[in-house]
Amino acid sequence: MTTTPLAATTVVDLSTRSTLGGYDDIAAAIGLRKISTFSEEIPHAEGDSILRATSTAVIANPWKGTGTDFELAPEAERIAPLLSKLLTDRLLDVLGGAGKVEAFGKAALIGAGGEIEHAGALIHTPYFGNLMREALEGTSILCFADGFGQPGESLRIPMWHKTAPATRSHYQTIEIFLSDAPNAAEIAVVAAASTGPRPHARIGDRNTDIPVTSEILKEITL
Amino acid sequence: MKYRKLVTIVEETTREGGRDVDPVARIAIVAAIFDNPWAGQGFVEDLNAGIDAVASDLGALLAPKVIEALGAPLEAYGKAAIVGLEGEIEHGSALIHTLKFGNHFRDAAQATTLLPAVEKRGPAGVHFDIPLKHFTDATIRSHHQSIEVSIPDAPHPGEIIIALAAATGGRPQQRLAALSTEL
Repeated sequence: MTTTPLAATTVVDLSTRSTLGGYDDIAAAIGLRKISTFSEEIPHAEGDSILRATSTAVIANPWKGTGTDFELAPEAERIAPLLSKLLTDRLLDVLGGAGKVEAFGKAALIGAGGEIEHAGALIHTPYFGNLMREALEGTSILCFADGFGQPGESLRIPMWHKTAPATRSHYQTIEIFLSDAPNAAEIAVVAAASTGPRPHARIGDRNTDIPVTSEILKEITL
Repeated sequence: MKYRKLVTIVEETTREGGRDVDPVARIAIVAAIFDNPWAGQGFVEDLNAGIDAVASDLGALLAPKVIEALGAPLEAYGKAAIVGLEGEIEHGSALIHTLKFGNHFRDAAQATTLLPAVEKRGPAGVHFDIPLKHFTDATIRSHHQSIEVSIPDAPHPGEIIIALAAATGGRPQQRLAALSTEL
């Protein structure tokens, strides 16, 4: 069984267009049901507040009813760039621009009737990741979470530094909650970012660590 | 107004019931999480000092933020007070059920009706549904709706969440007969 892709009838230039409003054409093209954008401001006594945000799009699974031999690339290449654009436009809006972003991550939740590979297809290719990295002005590989999801569940999304992923202070997670998504025939795709590290990060860094090996197990103090 | 964190959620609904929602339905929620002003004081008979210290500042903080987050004309609104497990529901009610708090939102939204509310006590991450009604006529049935919220690490036992919610319209695909048709 195959699905009928939604035909792209017009060519538009999204490179400079904001999708914060008036995005009906994009919504229709990807079967978008809703977008939920979460942000939190954590005041910091000695400086700027830390802002952390997620933006989550819930779309119809374009591969509903297909089998494991079905080629995923055409729909992934068509849909993933639009998801990246919608989600990063919202992250940049609430976080104050790419210059403010220090950490990022991504996630996809597949509804019960889909395949884990469907979730991966929308976030684990350059058609999503490269565009998100470019929009947020990062260079790091994007850390991620993916899996099956039921409506009403929470999902915790990892983030790390956008240009130096081994920077320990920026290892952090952010939790999202979707009351009614993803349904069995839907996929939820998430982009996440933070303007700073964990509050009060103070567990050193790989640059300051002394070498640690299993040799230390030979002289453990109890 | 000192708070541990400030959470903003914006939901944009583009499809409902298998049909497009035009224009896109937007709901915004802004929530402040802060120390319960009566924490550790036992039963406080007169809550006015705490109300005076917090309620107006809280309304002034949240009202412009939720209107900005909505980003389009407001047609429905509501509020929430979620108290951590060591507090009384009355503590949350005290902060939202005064004109000192509510008038900031009513004035900013050019609204005239009472704000519908949820008051609840629970652990961090507790789910709560904020009711919203029309901002100038609470009998307008199309605008009766609610939005579910959960904030992962709030409220702590000694904290309170106070939230405002705003919507650009009624329920997506609303199509119930008006109240007047049944009177």
